[in-house]
Amino acid sequence: MSQTINMKQMEQKLQKADRKQSRLYLFCNFTALAIISAYSALMLSPTVQRVFPEGGDSRKQMYMIFVMTLAGCVVFTIYALGLFFRHKSGQLGILMAIGTSRRRLAPGLFREVMLLSGMSAIAGTIAGFPFVWIIWHGFRLILVDSSDMALTFDFRCLFISLLFMLLVVGFACLTAWRYLKKTNIMEVIREEHINEPVKEPGRWCGPVGFLLILAGAVLGYGAPWAFQAWFHMYSPPWAGVFYAPVFPGLYMVMLHTVVHGWRRHKRNPYKNIISRSMMKFQGRQTVNNLLVVTLLIAGGCFAVFYLPANGVSMMMRYASQPYDYFYKYQADQDVPERDEVEALGKEYGLTFQEWGECVYVSLGIGGSTDIEEEGMRFRVEYVPMLNEARVLSEDAYRTLTGQEADVEPGTYLSVTNQEETSLSVNQSAREFTNMVTRTQLDTEFAGYLHYDLLVDDMYCCVLDNDDYDRIAEGLTDEWKGRIVQFNVDGKDSYAFAKAFYNRFVASFDETCERHRHYDRVSKIRYDEAGEEYWADTFDAATVSYENSDSFMFRQFWVYQPDFRILDQNDYLRNMSVLFMMFLFIFLVCLVTAQVVCYTRCQSIALNNRYVFDDLRKLGASPAFLDKEVRSQCANVFRVPSLVGMSGMFLLFTMILYANDGRITRAEWITMGVCLAVLALIGVMIYGVYRGSVRAIKGRLGI
Amino acid sequence: MLYVKELYKSYEAGKNKYQVLKGIDFHVAKGEFVAVMGPSGSGKTTLLNCISCYIPFDRGNIRLGGMELAGMNEEALARVRNTKIGFVFQDFMLLDGLNIRENILVPRIVQGEVGAEAQRLADQLAAMFGIGHILEKYPAEISGGEKQRAAVARSLINNPLIILADEPTGNLDSKSGRAVIETFNNAKEQMNATIFMVTHDSFAASFCDRVILLKDGTIYRQLEKEESRSGFQDQLLDVLKEMSR
Repeated sequence: MSQTINMKQMEQKLQKADRKQSRLYLFCNFTALAIISAYSALMLSPTVQRVFPEGGDSRKQMYMIFVMTLAGCVVFTIYALGLFFRHKSGQLGILMAIGTSRRRLAPGLFREVMLLSGMSAIAGTIAGFPFVWIIWHGFRLILVDSSDMALTFDFRCLFISLLFMLLVVGFACLTAWRYLKKTNIMEVIREEHINEPVKEPGRWCGPVGFLLILAGAVLGYGAPWAFQAWFHMYSPPWAGVFYAPVFPGLYMVMLHTVVHGWRRHKRNPYKNIISRSMMKFQGRQTVNNLLVVTLLIAGGCFAVFYLPANGVSMMMRYASQPYDYFYKYQADQDVPERDEVEALGKEYGLTFQEWGECVYVSLGIGGSTDIEEEGMRFRVEYVPMLNEARVLSEDAYRTLTGQEADVEPGTYLSVTNQEETSLSVNQSAREFTNMVTRTQLDTEFAGYLHYDLLVDDMYCCVLDNDDYDRIAEGLTDEWKGRIVQFNVDGKDSYAFAKAFYNRFVASFDETCERHRHYDRVSKIRYDEAGEEYWADTFDAATVSYENSDSFMFRQFWVYQPDFRILDQNDYLRNMSVLFMMFLFIFLVCLVTAQVVCYTRCQSIALNNRYVFDDLRKLGASPAFLDKEVRSQCANVFRVPSLVGMSGMFLLFTMILYANDGRITRAEWITMGVCLAVLALIGVMIYGVYRGSVRAIKGRLGI
Repeated sequence: MLYVKELYKSYEAGKNKYQVLKGIDFHVAKGEFVAVMGPSGSGKTTLLNCISCYIPFDRGNIRLGGMELAGMNEEALARVRNTKIGFVFQDFMLLDGLNIRENILVPRIVQGEVGAEAQRLADQLAAMFGIGHILEKYPAEISGGEKQRAAVARSLINNPLIILADEPTGNLDSKSGRAVIETFNNAKEQMNATIFMVTHDSFAASFCDRVILLKDGTIYRQLEKEESRSGFQDQLLDVLKEMSR
C-alpha cells in the first residue's frame, strides 16, 4: 500500500461501511416524504377539492387525519435519525477521543447528513406523485372509472412537501450539531448504550388511562350539545379541548403497556421479565411511538369506516325502495309525460306497472330556528316563513303511497322515513304560507307519516284536502310540482335508466338549476329583510347541468331523481373520489403506523443486541430467544392496534347512536361490516408483525 | 512527563453530589509504565478520563509535557489528545469500516493527508506487535487480542508523550491479555514509551514499574516494583486484600 489517504477519503470509507444504518434512515425518510407528498398531492388535487364539500365534515376529517399522518411521519423520521446517530455517535466518539477536533469533524458530518436527508427527501417527494398516480389509476382500472376521477394535481401541494423536506433536513443538521456540541466525549462514545427508562407508575396507571380516554370521548362529544342546551350558544372552536383527557389517558395506557403489560402472571411473575425490562429501558421513546401508532391506526380506521358507513345505508336504501323509478319536478318544466316515458321504455324492451303520480305544492313553512347573537350565542325564535316545504293533500298522499292519511283540518302530518331517523321533519310549524298570494294557513303538528322516497332535505307535509285547496289557491306553476313513481315489469335496464335520466335532466330550464340546500323561501325572506342570502355567495351551493353526470350534481341537484338501477350501478362511480380518498388515507395511516412499529422493533433489537448475546452465552435456547423477540414485537404491535381499533370503533358507535339517539338496522349492519374490516386490518398488522420478527431474528442471528 | 496535583472531581446525580476524586497527587516519569488499581468506585476511570481531557475536572492541575491542561480550549485539547496522548480502550474502539492499517493511521489521518512514510511506520508498528499479517483485514475479521494490539499500535503512531490505557485486558482472555501487556512492554523498551494504565488485573499490573492504588477517591498507597513480577503481583494482592477490609 502506497496510496495517500486523507480525512475525506476516510469519511467516505466509513460511510460506505455504514450502508446498513444509512439504508434504514434513507428508507424512513423516503417513506415519510413519499407519504406526505402523496397525501398532500391528493388532498389538494382539484379532483378531490371539487368533491369534498367546503366546510363539510368529510373535508375536516381529511385534514385532521393529514395532521395525524404528518405527526406520525415527523415522529418516525426523528426516530430514524436518532437511530442513525446512535450508531454514528460511536464513530464520532472514537474520532473525538483520539483527538479529532469538532471543527474537523463538522464538514464531513454535515455533508453526509445533508446528503442522506436531502437526497432521500427529494426522492420521496418526487416518488409521492407516481405513487398517487399508480394507486389512483389502479383503483380506476380495478374498481371504477368515471370522468370525476380524472386526476389532476395542484402543484401548490409541493409547498407542504417542501416544508416537510426542510424540516427533515433541518432537524438532521440540528441533531448533527447537537452531537458535535456535546462536551463530554464519554457521553458521545456511550450514546449507543444510553437508555431512556421511564418512571415506573403503579398498576392503577392503565385502568385510569382507560377511564380518562372514556371521559375525554364523552366530554368532547357531549360538549357541543351541552353548550347549546345549557348556554344557548354554539360550541366555540376551543371546545375541542374537552377531548384533551384522551391524550394523557392514551399515554397512561401505553405507559402501563410498556412498564407492566396487561397480563398478570401470578404463578410466574418473572415470565416476561426480560422482554418487559428491554422495553422499559427504552421506555420514553417506546411510549411515544406507541402513542403515535395508536393515533395513526385510529385515524386509518376512522377513514376506512367512511366506506361502509356510507355504502351500507345507501345499498339498503336502494334495496328497500318500493319503486324502481321515483322523481319529482316543478310544474312549469317540460318533463316527459307518461306516454313519452313508456315509448322510451319500449325502445329498451321495457313495460311499466304500478304507475303512480300526484301533485304537490311548495309552501313557506314556519318553524323554530336559532338566531345568532354576539359571542357565539343564539336564541331560539319562531320564524313564520322559515323554509320551503313540499306539501301534499291527503288524497295525493294516499294515491302515491297507498297509505291512509287522515289529517284533521288545521293540522299537518310530517312525512319521515320508516325508522324515523330523518332530520328533515318539522314539528313546530304554526302556519303555512302561499308564497305568491302570501295568504297563511294556521296549523299545528299532528304526527308522522312514513314514506322513505319522499324524504330528502326539504320538509314534506300532508294537509287536510280542504286546507290544501285553500292554501294552494293562486300559486303559480313554479310553486307547484308533480311526483311520479313506477316499476318496471320484469328486469330493469340500465341503458333505459341512463337515457331517461339524460332526457329528464335536459327537460329542466335554468330556474331549476339549484342546489338542494338552496331554499327559495329563505331566499325571499333574506331579500325582503335586505340581507344577503348565504347560498347566493357560496360557490359550493351551486350545481350545473353541464356536469349532470358528476358526483356533485347527482348528490346535490334539487330534483335529482331516484332511479334504482342507475343509482345502484353508479353508486361506486359517483362516490369514487370520496371512497378513493378515504381508502388512500386509510392506507397511508396504516403504512405509516406499520413503518413506525417496524422501526421501533428493529431499534429495540439493535439496542438490546448485547442482551440477546448475553442470554445466548448464559445458555438460552433459540426457542427462548425467539419467544423474547416475539414478546417484544407483540407489545409494540398489539396494544396500539387494539386500542386504536377498538377506540375508534367505540367512537364510531357513539357517533351512529348520537345521530338519532339509537342504532338503526342499517347501522347495525354497518357496524358488523366495520368489525369485519377491523378483522382484516388485524390480519394485515399481523403480517407486518411476522415480517418484523423475521427481520429481527435475522439481525440477531437467532 | 505527567504531573497531577490536587485533582478534584465530583458528579451530580439528581440532588446528590458525589465526590469521586478528592485531591489526587502523583507524577509519571518519561519511559515509566504505571498502573492504577483499586476497587470499583474508587475513581480510577474518572482519573483517567480527566487526564484524557474527556471530562472536565473541578479543581487541581494536570500538566503533560510541561503543558497545563486546565483552561485549554476545545481545539487545543483536541490537538493535545491527537499529538501528545495515545489511547487504548477496554473495548478497542477500532472503526469497523476501516482495515487495520487504516485504523492504526487514524490519528495521523485526522491531522491531514497521510503518505507513504506514515504507512511505513504503521507497518513497522504492526510488525513489532505481531499483527503485520492482518493489516488488510477489518476489525470484524480478527480476534480481540489482535484488535487490542492494533489499538496499541494506533496509540503510538503519533509518537505521543504518554499512552493512556483503560482496562486494556478487561475484554480479553488471559493469553490475549498477556500478549497485549507484552506489547506495552515492547513499546516501553523499544520506543521508551510512557504508559499509564488503569486495570483491575493484578497480573497485568505486575508488569508495571509502579502501581498507584486508589481508594474512595484518594491515593491509598503507591507500590514500586523492586522484585520479580510474581513477587510484585503477590505484594499487590496483599495490599488489595488489605484495602478491601
